[in-house]
Amino acid sequence: MTQPFLSIRKLRKAFGAFTAVHDVTLDIPKGEFLTFLGPSGSGKSTTLYAIAGFQDPTSGNVLLQGKSLLSVPSHKRNIGMVFQRYTLFPHLSVAENVAFPLRVRRRPDSEIKRKVADMLSLVRLESFAERLPAALSGGQQQRVALARALAYDPPILLMDEPLSALDKKLREEIQAEIRRIHRETGVTILYVTHDQEEALHLSDRIALFRDGRIEQIGTGEDLYLRPATDFVAGFIGNSNFLAAEHLATVDGASTIRLADGSLVSGIHANGSFASGQRARLMIRPEAFHLERSPNTVELAVEIVDVAFYGERRRIVARTGTGQEIDIRPTSAALAAQDVTPSHRAVFFDPGTAFLFPA
Amino acid sequence: MLLDYDRLGWLKVALLGFTALVAAFLLLPVVFIVLLSFGSSRWLAFPPPGWTLKWYEELFADPSWIEAALTSARIATMTAILAVAIGLLASFALVRAQFRGREILRGLLLTPMVLPVVVFAIAIYAFFLKLGLGGTTIGFVVAHTVLALPFAIIPIATALEGFDKSVEDAAIVCGASPIQAKLRITLPSIRIGIFSAAIFSFLASWDEVVVAIFMASPTLQTLPVKIWGSLRSDLTPVIAAASSLLVALTLALMVVTALLRRKLQT
Amino acid sequence: MSVEAQQGIATPRIPAGLGGLLPALILIGLFFVVPVLALLLRSVTDPAPGLQNYAALLGDGTYARVFFNTFLVAAVVTIVTVLVAFPVAWMLAIMPPALASIMFGIIILSMWTNLLTRTYAWMVLLQRTGVINRALVSAGIIDQPLPLINNLTGVTIGMVYIMLPFMILPLVGTLRAIDPMTLRAAALCGASPLAAFRRILLPLSLPGIAAGGLMVFVMSLGYFVTPALLGGTSNMMLAEMIAQMIQSLLNWGLGSAAAFILLIVTMSLYALQLRLVGSKRSTGAA
Repeated sequence: MTQPFLSIRKLRKAFGAFTAVHDVTLDIPKGEFLTFLGPSGSGKSTTLYAIAGFQDPTSGNVLLQGKSLLSVPSHKRNIGMVFQRYTLFPHLSVAENVAFPLRVRRRPDSEIKRKVADMLSLVRLESFAERLPAALSGGQQQRVALARALAYDPPILLMDEPLSALDKKLREEIQAEIRRIHRETGVTILYVTHDQEEALHLSDRIALFRDGRIEQIGTGEDLYLRPATDFVAGFIGNSNFLAAEHLATVDGASTIRLADGSLVSGIHANGSFASGQRARLMIRPEAFHLERSPNTVELAVEIVDVAFYGERRRIVARTGTGQEIDIRPTSAALAAQDVTPSHRAVFFDPGTAFLFPA
Repeated sequence: MLLDYDRLGWLKVALLGFTALVAAFLLLPVVFIVLLSFGSSRWLAFPPPGWTLKWYEELFADPSWIEAALTSARIATMTAILAVAIGLLASFALVRAQFRGREILRGLLLTPMVLPVVVFAIAIYAFFLKLGLGGTTIGFVVAHTVLALPFAIIPIATALEGFDKSVEDAAIVCGASPIQAKLRITLPSIRIGIFSAAIFSFLASWDEVVVAIFMASPTLQTLPVKIWGSLRSDLTPVIAAASSLLVALTLALMVVTALLRRKLQT
Repeated sequence: MSVEAQQGIATPRIPAGLGGLLPALILIGLFFVVPVLALLLRSVTDPAPGLQNYAALLGDGTYARVFFNTFLVAAVVTIVTVLVAFPVAWMLAIMPPALASIMFGIIILSMWTNLLTRTYAWMVLLQRTGVINRALVSAGIIDQPLPLINNLTGVTIGMVYIMLPFMILPLVGTLRAIDPMTLRAAALCGASPLAAFRRILLPLSLPGIAAGGLMVFVMSLGYFVTPALLGGTSNMMLAEMIAQMIQSLLNWGLGSAAAFILLIVTMSLYALQLRLVGSKRSTGAA
């Protein structure tokens, strides 16, 4: 039986009475880009640190190619890591920083020279070889850190929120760099972030963490289109939640009554519901339309505010029962219209909405 | 991992043990002296054959010791006042005024702290001999003030640097004259610095040995000079008694400083 | 009433500009710079004009001995102090705050305790019949008491004791400024604890060690009290020799010259430190 490349088994980490990581189990195939996504304190960094060896788990195991990592001290684990604060060696030049892991492994000088040159061209910083870290910008320092982490061809690369210290434009540039490097080297990457857009942009799969557990794991599409819980729905992408009463479910399609009394059918049911049970209806802002079309149902709203966001408009509207919802229609026809505060109807396809327990 | 306390493993035990040893090394000699001052052996045998207060009695019965202590106190107090006054004025100029060579001047004023005291001691001794100030209280105070000045300037200047001048300016706008603003607003705000300056200047003079040896005369002896003389001739336990009292004074001052600091900061 | 008026000093107000420097400048100028310059003058005019005093000091064997002893002791004290201070500073930089406060308290208490008291303690401890020798003899480690006092050994021990706080405290600052993540990164890069220490921790602490070491060296060169009390008359150090020349021998020419040599060496080393560290940090806070 082929064993998974990297396997985390029932990992648990407790700090006294507080349990940061409850029972994380997952398998990662070779070459995958997996992101640990979640709010602060959800246990994603703690899990990463256990793999790196900065913290000993309370129980559970981490296996790389079948062998447990836990008994191996950090400096023998042969794992690459990139940190939030770059963490370059301030007294060494860029070239010496990248050469460092090879020097402590006592590789011959000729090999070191060649590898450093390869790495620096991989991150496109060849001309910076002799500079000191203090003379580099944040983005450049992070690329050096990446070169250093990959210099010894580690089987896995850990990245702990490496881009959160950078501004948006720079972040997007380096995200592209990371994707390119992942394609070119095929290294297995475990990436930690709290930014869901970043996760969607970079990853093959995303593990969404909540309170020390993985709430859902899957591709970005899986999490976006088929969220398992309202937490996932709320975390990935934007969402609106409306109060609803579940009436009946037939073949996975639910009929509900909204707060204003209207009935809607054909909703995805996430979970089983009793008749009359209180529930929450989740509709993405992008799922709303301003014109009726077949399959859509109507929702009467009062438009409160309209903002121009570049590629789309953001409309804040209020339902009949006073709840505020976020509408970001993508229809091309919108460009021609001027949407002013008024009472009107908006439309959505019930098949794109989800029902969750209240 | 070398800077992670919980990840050091055996290294943590080794380092902690070593640190404890050094702590003992630093502490024990002082504790030892205090214990010896209560021991009955004239030859400072340890452990002492018995316990006694007679060395303290001898200390307090000897007028020359009391005299020396009072002399030290007098000179140290005058030094502290003078050093703080001069230091206060100098600090304002050093921190506020913009002029070239400010760093050089600051360095110059702090030089007495850095130079070997013996060089200053013989220089000032020779100078005062010519001026006829050798062996006088004034000479003592002046010489000590030179040495104490850096200890006054540093805490006051630091406090002044941390003080937001716009508060003082606001007082002037409210109608206070520059001097009033400084007296009523600035000085109270930096009182921790002034207090530290006073304590450090006092101690700088109170503990000062080398200059005192040169400046002393048979009629003008500070406490350190008296102890020095005793140490050169005979290691009587009375010195241990005097030293213990000095340690007690140090402890008291440290406690008072810490308490006042906490009180003044809130 | 202004502060100065209370002390009866002539200046009637607190000047906002340079005027405030005047009293300090007068004090330092008149009672520091002038006397020291006068000393220099004396060294080349007493007993007769010329550089004979310097020639005598630098040429004569007995004086050379003193200079050598002084440099030797200062060097040994510096090295020992650095070696002892580093592990302690390391611990203090990463220890839990509760434990660290206790250690800091002990260090500061030691620093504030009267110099004579501390030196006296070692005079008693290092005697032939003192505690240390008696303990070593009764433990069977030695047969005869070791001569630990009235020689350079005693001076070194005493000086290390005095200098330790001056080395430990700045070094803690240096070590605290190093980001622990850097060491974790080094470990992950494959550096064993020894390699990480040698290649990362030590180089990053070196500026602090150099600054502190230089300060201890300079202080040890010119120290008077402890070497005078713990050292013997046959292997005197520089400060004591200067004092003896002035007080006992009344040889002002020679004494001034020796003092001036000490002054020049001190100033040069201090200037070196300024270049290394920057003026604010080298004088530090009281």
